[in-house]
Amino acid sequence: MKPRSLKRRLRSWGRRQLYSFFSSIGTLLSHRFGTLMTVVVLGIAMVLPVGLLLTLENLRKVDLQQDQWGTLTVFLLMDVTEEQVRELEQQLGEHSVAKITAISPEQGLQEFREASGFGKALDVLDTNPLPWVLEVQPEWLEDQDIDEQVAALTSWLEGQELVESVVVDSKWLQRLAGLIRLGDAFVSVLGFMFSLAVLVVIANTIRLDVGNRADEIEVLSLVGAGPGFIRLPFLYSGFWYGVLGAFFALVLLEISLAYLRAPLASLMDAYGNSFSLAGLSIPQVLYMFLAGGVLGWLGAWIAVQRYLRQLTREGLFLRL
Amino acid sequence: MIRFDHVSKRYAEGTYALKDVSLDLGAGEMVFLTGHSGAGKSTLLRLVLMLEQSTRGQVIVNQTNLSSLPMRASPKVRQSIGMIFQDHKLLRNKSVFDNVALPLLIAGLRYAEIRKRVRAALDKVGLLHRERSWPMMLSGGEQQRVGIARAIVALPPILLADEPTGNLDPDLSAELFNLFRELNQQGVTVLIASHDLYLIRRMGKRVLILSEGSLVDDIPADPTREGFYS
Repeated sequence: MKPRSLKRRLRSWGRRQLYSFFSSIGTLLSHRFGTLMTVVVLGIAMVLPVGLLLTLENLRKVDLQQDQWGTLTVFLLMDVTEEQVRELEQQLGEHSVAKITAISPEQGLQEFREASGFGKALDVLDTNPLPWVLEVQPEWLEDQDIDEQVAALTSWLEGQELVESVVVDSKWLQRLAGLIRLGDAFVSVLGFMFSLAVLVVIANTIRLDVGNRADEIEVLSLVGAGPGFIRLPFLYSGFWYGVLGAFFALVLLEISLAYLRAPLASLMDAYGNSFSLAGLSIPQVLYMFLAGGVLGWLGAWIAVQRYLRQLTREGLFLRL
Repeated sequence: MIRFDHVSKRYAEGTYALKDVSLDLGAGEMVFLTGHSGAGKSTLLRLVLMLEQSTRGQVIVNQTNLSSLPMRASPKVRQSIGMIFQDHKLLRNKSVFDNVALPLLIAGLRYAEIRKRVRAALDKVGLLHRERSWPMMLSGGEQQRVGIARAIVALPPILLADEPTGNLDPDLSAELFNLFRELNQQGVTVLIASHDLYLIRRMGKRVLILSEGSLVDDIPADPTREGFYS
């Protein structure tokens, strides 16, 4: 056993890697049906969290007009004069308010005329039925909950003599935002659980594979293979399972997207929202392959390690 | 090359597989190891291969004291020894070429080098024309010769064989022993466990006899018998 240079050892290491890399492909191809079944299971396990993530990302892209979220519409009493309105405006300014827009009854009527298409019908009216309206947009304070701000402002406004009523009409948007936040947490939980599932499926597949090749492992160790060399092809198999699983998950995802795209587009069209369903970005796709590969490698490692330890302990491959 | 110094191997149940065995095999020697089944032949070979370690005493192979090495060093030890098994221990799902190439793949040699050496080893055992065959397509004798090619392909200084002729007819056995002698003449130390007493005697080599775990006889080589060719 003469000492060998680092360079030569590195080269031998590289050749062993290369050999195991290709031999693992050969093994997977030699039992195609089993490989296919494992890959399908892995693909389905992976597509679920990724699909949910994609759904949330697309939801986030829908224009939620977040800047108008806290906007309050304040209806004043009918007989309020412009001076009183200006006075209220000033008082409001002392609160944390980003923007106040006062709409006079005349302006309101004009806007209504244009927007509603009831132009002619409105001419029938003798008097303007609309009150003064204030649109109040609270200031976004980072450290404060928008809900609380809006609530505080609403109760102050409702206490004012001139105010008839206050309307907050963006509740559902806030709820949606809350749901998206919940969804994010859900993606994390699902991602973790399904990663675990991928790990376990691959570990179990490799465990069976190792069991089937016990004779081979025995022969290898008899002719001088160390645990590293014995382990390597299985680790590559695990890696391939993970990567193929990720690939199949992407295929499933693309099929689902293609299936959803048309009905979704027509739905969004009805809401006057132009929207296109986006797939995964290139970094996300790469990340999926990476995650699959790493999980596969890890799962295989766990399975092989357990088996090798068991073998050494029981001295199974030590029989001659 | 192989030295046992008061080596005992006791199993957990308390039975002795080897009892105070001392022996010394010089470099380039060819030695037969014989005795009834259960006499400790396999245990002796297992200790040399570092498949297990002695309970007492020192096992020194190729100037390395195996008794002082940790078990995880055993793959390195095995790489310097060519081992031939009674049941060949070939991989059924690999071609003859790939089977013979195994020790070289483990060593991480270049493919061109592997190819050259595998072909040389197969040529030496007369099976070069079979390199693309599968082990199942070969006869028992041919499979055993593939096993020998695998054992010698990495040019180890020591060759061990455990009942290599156990499943072969007398003609094939004689042929195989001649092959071992040829390898020995090229400088390889050869230790063969066998109970084919007739062939052993006709080879005229040194013979170690084990009985119930003890070395009971050490018959020196008899050069007058060395002319044996089947």
